[in-house]
Parts: sequence; structure tokens; C-alpha cells
Amino acid sequence: MKREENTAKNLEDSFERQYLSRTQLLLRAFKKSKLAIISFWVLVFFYIVAILAGFLSPYDPYVNELKSSYSPPTRIHFFYNGKFTAPYVFKTQTIINPLTYERSSAERLELASIRGRNNNKQFEFTKDKVAQIDLSIREIINAYTDDGKKVELSNKTKTVNNLLKNERGILTDKRVVRVYKDRYMIDAYRDSFDYGYKLQGLKVVKIVRIFTLDSIMVMTNDFNIHTISGSTVKIDNYTFKRYPIKFFIHSWRYHLLGIIPSTLHLFGTSDDSRVYLFGSDKFGRDVFTRILYGSRISLSIGLIGVAITFSLGLFLGGISGFYGGITDEALMRTTEIIMSIPGFYLLITLRAILPMDIPSTQIYLLLVIILSFIGWPSMSRVIRGMVLSIKKREFVEAAIALGLPKRRIIWKHILPNTTTYVIVAATLSIPGYILGEAGLSFLGLGIREPQSSWGLMLAQAQDTYVIAHAPWLLLPGFFIIVTVLAFNLLGDGLRDAFDPRSLGM
Amino acid sequence: MLKYIIRRIIVAIPVLIGVSVLCFIIIQMAPGDFLDQLRINPAISKETIDKMTHQFGLDKPVVEQYFMWLKSAVTGNFGYSYSYRRPVSSLIWSRAYNTFILAITSLIFSWIIGIGLGIFSALHKYTAADHILTVLAFIGLATPAFFLGLILLYFAARTGTFPITGMTSVNHEHMTTIGKIVDILKHLFLPMLALGLIRLVGIMRQMRGQLLDVMHEDYVLFAVAKGMPRNVVIYKHALRNAINPLITMFGYALASLLSGALIIEIIFSWPGLGRLIYNALLEQDVYLVMGSLLISSAMLIGGNLVADILLAWADPRVRLR
Repeated sequence: MKREENTAKNLEDSFERQYLSRTQLLLRAFKKSKLAIISFWVLVFFYIVAILAGFLSPYDPYVNELKSSYSPPTRIHFFYNGKFTAPYVFKTQTIINPLTYERSSAERLELASIRGRNNNKQFEFTKDKVAQIDLSIREIINAYTDDGKKVELSNKTKTVNNLLKNERGILTDKRVVRVYKDRYMIDAYRDSFDYGYKLQGLKVVKIVRIFTLDSIMVMTNDFNIHTISGSTVKIDNYTFKRYPIKFFIHSWRYHLLGIIPSTLHLFGTSDDSRVYLFGSDKFGRDVFTRILYGSRISLSIGLIGVAITFSLGLFLGGISGFYGGITDEALMRTTEIIMSIPGFYLLITLRAILPMDIPSTQIYLLLVIILSFIGWPSMSRVIRGMVLSIKKREFVEAAIALGLPKRRIIWKHILPNTTTYVIVAATLSIPGYILGEAGLSFLGLGIREPQSSWGLMLAQAQDTYVIAHAPWLLLPGFFIIVTVLAFNLLGDGLRDAFDPRSLGM
Repeated sequence: MLKYIIRRIIVAIPVLIGVSVLCFIIIQMAPGDFLDQLRINPAISKETIDKMTHQFGLDKPVVEQYFMWLKSAVTGNFGYSYSYRRPVSSLIWSRAYNTFILAITSLIFSWIIGIGLGIFSALHKYTAADHILTVLAFIGLATPAFFLGLILLYFAARTGTFPITGMTSVNHEHMTTIGKIVDILKHLFLPMLALGLIRLVGIMRQMRGQLLDVMHEDYVLFAVAKGMPRNVVIYKHALRNAINPLITMFGYALASLLSGALIIEIIFSWPGLGRLIYNALLEQDVYLVMGSLLISSAMLIGGNLVADILLAWADPRVRLR
């Protein structure tokens, strides 16, 4: 049974080998490597995303919003009170720890509606009536010493219109107690400017913070303010303001495909809430948006750079290999010299001698030219070697004997025979350009602010403090890895497909 | 063998001269010179600038300037660094030494671990461990060195176990000799890891491929057939032959490490050649740029030479040619 299957397969195979065209055979061989196929589609996806960057990004990549500097990735909620709902977000807020002055970010929950009893009297404010609900909260801080003595550090009320997630309990219990016993917190209180003097010479074992709900102030849409206060307040039900994620909304203006002006975006949120999928950077710009815009640089620089390098390499390598003699000598010595300087050293030298303060499009062109200048020597050496061996083949000698012009022999007879190598080598050398651009931009010698590029975005993460507090700034690096990996795997797949053995020829 | 080495060194001289000419042309193309900063400074008189222009030979034609520089470079004098106010040669040697330490340690690290893992994954072909190593290798090959550096920086910043900037601690001068060495090693660890891990995966894949190829050779099959212990076959017969192409890689790795080291040195503030040339470029310190480009090229050519010599030493077939 198995043998029959095998013979059937063999028959089909030999049939295909005989009657399929070369392109079909190549495609057949290429389809065998799954990783290369996946990489191919990943790259196609990336290129589509890069082209549609304006439509896909919720915010303008160049507009600063210092209020939300270093905002972490926004949490998108799908459940509310255990029930599945359309995706929504809460507003976020930067909190500065009053003791350590460390900045952090948290969701702020604003009350949207409230229902409860006060002195057995029902009150209810529904979502469509309420403009804002403020809470007046009393905070008492007590320190306890080892001999049981109590020191009151603070007793203040503050009015807030939002709560943090871990403060929610105050609505139902009206009283939240926090106890700190660890050395770090106690020392922080002891060292603080506000309370430190009260704790001098005392041996503190714990700090207790007590929050109580003093009163609720509801401002309705008709500008009436209702104050509910007293110790008998009991809240039965409340809801928080939710900001749903909206699809296909109109916001900032961009040019689709670089020409068609448009304001349509795939997603965004209402009012002044923000949805940062990958967080925000130092200037409060959306990292997700900037990654999309940066992908345009990284994805295009490789293609254009390779195109320039390979035209140069084919041209110079072809001439050098075909004519030989003094041209060959001169070119080969030049390539040797260029290849003797460590690549990245030459790269930054070339960049540094060229003007720095020029428009971003010109910087981009300069980068492409510099990267191609580094790349052409090795390319033309390989092409030269191939031309030297192809030159001795019969069909070239026949073409020479027929008296064809030399230019025609090089372009029509010799160079087409290097196509296979050129396609594979081009795919495998694209990562070099992507990494070169990223490295230069990282050093501040490439694409400059406010333009976006993956390397430039990583430059922000060089600071140890920033990197420890905003690790999402490292995300562009993963996109570099995925892109480079995809090109590597695609190149490997192509090389295997072009290998005559895999074609079955 | 000696003849071979001498011939290679002699061939390298015109290349180095070519490098210096190329560097000189590139730098001459740059707009302005390093005296521009002084010219806009009203506190410095025109006479002083004229004197300095004359002293540095900037008033002479470009070709003459080049030969002046070349003449002194041959005697080991690479000129005077303007921004550091020190002779370029002493500056470069101390920095080149630091880069060399970084390069050599990461080279040793990546080679020992890389070859070990390569052998391991070849001997455990198609097991889970091998697959994991293969996936890691592919990811590693796609990771830019500076990104790995940043990730290491992130973990160092979070855990605080390793120092992250410079080469020595503030109180380095007051340490004992052993303390000094430990201090430098501590500072060296992260940049070395960042540089080494990137190299490691390439070596690992190469080693795995080579060893698997050699395992199918007739002499290995024969050794197995005659009943030799497995370890002897692997380590004495297969490995010795599989490692040859890697020896060539070793020399070239030394050369390409220089390029990789540049960004790592900048991220970790390692006082090496890469950082020196980066700063020199920003300051338009011509002689410093020339000197460091030339020294780094010499190191690259030297690395290639070492590669060829190592190969000739390991493989008699190369020597006979």
C-alpha cells in the first residue's frame, strides 16, 4: 500500500519536473519551507501597515502631550461588573508619591451615577443627570511606637472627583485602613519633610492610614449641587464613567498614501481619555503610532539601499570582471581599502562629516547613500568572481565570436546568470541596512526628532532611570528583531528554493 | 610559515596607506575645521588663530598636509588631539587597550559557550533542547547588539547587581590590587555579555552544522564501526575536523567585534576606541579621527592575518599552498 503511494508520488514528481516551467518549479520548491512562507506574509503585513500608518494610528505622531509623559500601556477592559461589554478604557493619571516623589501612573475612576440612603431617605442620581460627583475624604495618619503610644501625624480632608482602584472600598465601607509595617515605608515617613520632625527619637513599629468618607457632592446637569453628608450615608449602587473605544472615528488629519487628505482612523476614544496600546514616550506621544510611522523608515531603507548597492555592485563588478586589467586592479584595490575600515566606524565617520541640520527627507537620502557606499565593495567582489567564471563559458565565447557589442554581452548574457545569487544575497543583506539605520539613529546621527524611526525611539531608552520606569520604550527593538528575522528566514527559504537540487532538475 | 606571515604583513602596508588616504579625503570633505570653534570665540585673537593655523599646517595645500601627517605617523606620532589636549597616540593606545579587553573577553566567552552549546545541540539533534537552542539562535542572529545592551541595562537597572557605567568605580584608586581587578571585571561583565551573546549564536549554529556534516564522513563511520568508544570518536576524530572552518571565523570575528563594540561602548560608557572616535567626530578632531580609524583598520587587518595564520597552523593543506 505504502509503496503504491510512493510510486504514485514519484510519477507525479517526474511529471511535474518535465512539464512545469522554471518559475512554477521555483514556487513549488519555495512553498516547501513553511518558515519562509510565514516570513513572507509577515513582511507583506508589515508593509501594508506601514503604508496605512496614518489610518491605523490613533494619535498624531508629532504632537507632544506632556501631561501624559511616560504613560504606561492603557489597560483595555472587556468586562464591567463581571459582565462582558464592548471594550472601554478609564482615564489615567500620574501619581507622585508624596514620600518618595516617585512617579507612577494609575487608572482614575470617576463616578457616573450613585444610588443610596441617608437617614432612611433614598437618593438617586442617574448617569444622564450627573455632570460630576466629588467626594470629600478625610485622611488620618497615625504612627504607633513600640510601647503602644499613638502619634497623630496628619488629619486632613481632601476633595477628589476620582478614585484609584484600591481606594474603591471607601464607597461601600466608608472607611479604608492601611497598615504599613515594613522598614522601607516607616523610614520614608521618618525622612519626610512633613512628618519627620514628629517622629524624632521614637521607635516606630507601624504606620496606620485611615480614610473615611465625609460627604458626597453631586453636581447635576442643571448646575445644582446636592451635598449628602453624615455618618448614616449608605451607598447601595454606583457606576463609573467608562470611555468606550470607538472604531472608524474622525480625529487628527493625515494624508493617505501621502496624497489623499483624511481624518478617518481605525480606532480611538472619546473626550480627553487616551488609549495608548504601547504606552507613551517622554513627550507623551503614542509609542504605537510612532512605531507604525517608524516602520516606514526601516522597511523602505533596506529596499532602496539594496537597490542602489546592487546596481553599483553589478555595474562595477561586471566591468571589473569582464574587462580585467587596470580597471579591475584599481577597483579591487579600492574595495579592499574600504573593506579594511571597520564598517560601523566608516559609517559614523561618513555621517559625521556630512551636514547635520538638513531636512528629514534629505537625511533619509543621505543615510541610504552612506549605507550603500559601505555595502557595494563586497557585492562587486562577488559579482566580479562570478563574471570571471561565466566569461569562460561557451555561450559567452560564442557571443564574442558573433561580434556582439561588449556592453550587450555583459548586460544580456553575463549578468542575467547572476540573478539567482543576487536575489538571495539582496534579501539576506536587507537586515544590514535596517540595523545600520537603527544604529545610526540610535546614536543621534540618523533620523532626527520629531521624525520617527525604530532606532531613534530606542535612543530614549538609553537612560537607566527611564528604562527602569518605562520599559515599554524598548518595544521598537522587538519590531526590529521580527523584521530582521523575517528577512533572514525569507532569504534562507529563497536560497533553498533556488538550489538546483531542490528544483529537481 | 614565517615567510608567509612576512609576505602578508608587507601586503598589508599599501592597504593601510590607502586607508589613510581615503580617511584624509573624507575628512577634508567635511565642512569647516576644528579651529572654527575658536574663530567664533571673541576672547581669542586673530594672531593666535593664525599661529595655530600655521602650527597645525592648515595653511598648506591638502596634499602637503597629508604627507606631513604621514611622515610623522610613520614615526608613531599621530599628531595632537585638539579637544583632549594630548598627543593622539597616547590617547589611542590607552583606549585601544580598553576596547581590546572588551573584545577579547567577549570573544573568549562567546567561543567557549558557543562551541559547547553547538556540540551539545549537534549531539542531541532534533530533541527539545536542540529546538529551543535553534529558535534562540535565529532570534539572536536578528537582534541588534545595542538592543541586547539596552535589555541588559534594563535588568541591571531593575536588580542593581551590576554597575552599568564606565570601567571603574569612583573609589577605584583606593582599592587593593585584587579589588581593582574584581572592580574592572564587574564593570566589564554587562558589555561583554551584550557583545558576546550576539556572537555566540552564530558560532553555535556553525559548530552544530559542521559537526553534523563531519559525523557522516567515512573516517567517523569507520571509527564507529571498529568499535571505538563514542566519546573518543566525537572528541578526537569528529571535533578536530569540524572545528577548522571555525578557526577562520575566529580571526574575522576579532575584526567585526570592533564595529559591534562601538555602540556597546557608548551604551555602557566604556572608555574604548569606539566612544573616542564618536566623540572625536562630533568635535571635528581631525587627527584623532584619522588616528583611530587607522588603528582600528590596522586591528581589522591584523585580525584577518591572525585568522589566516591560525588556519595555516591548524590545516596543513593551507600551509602547502
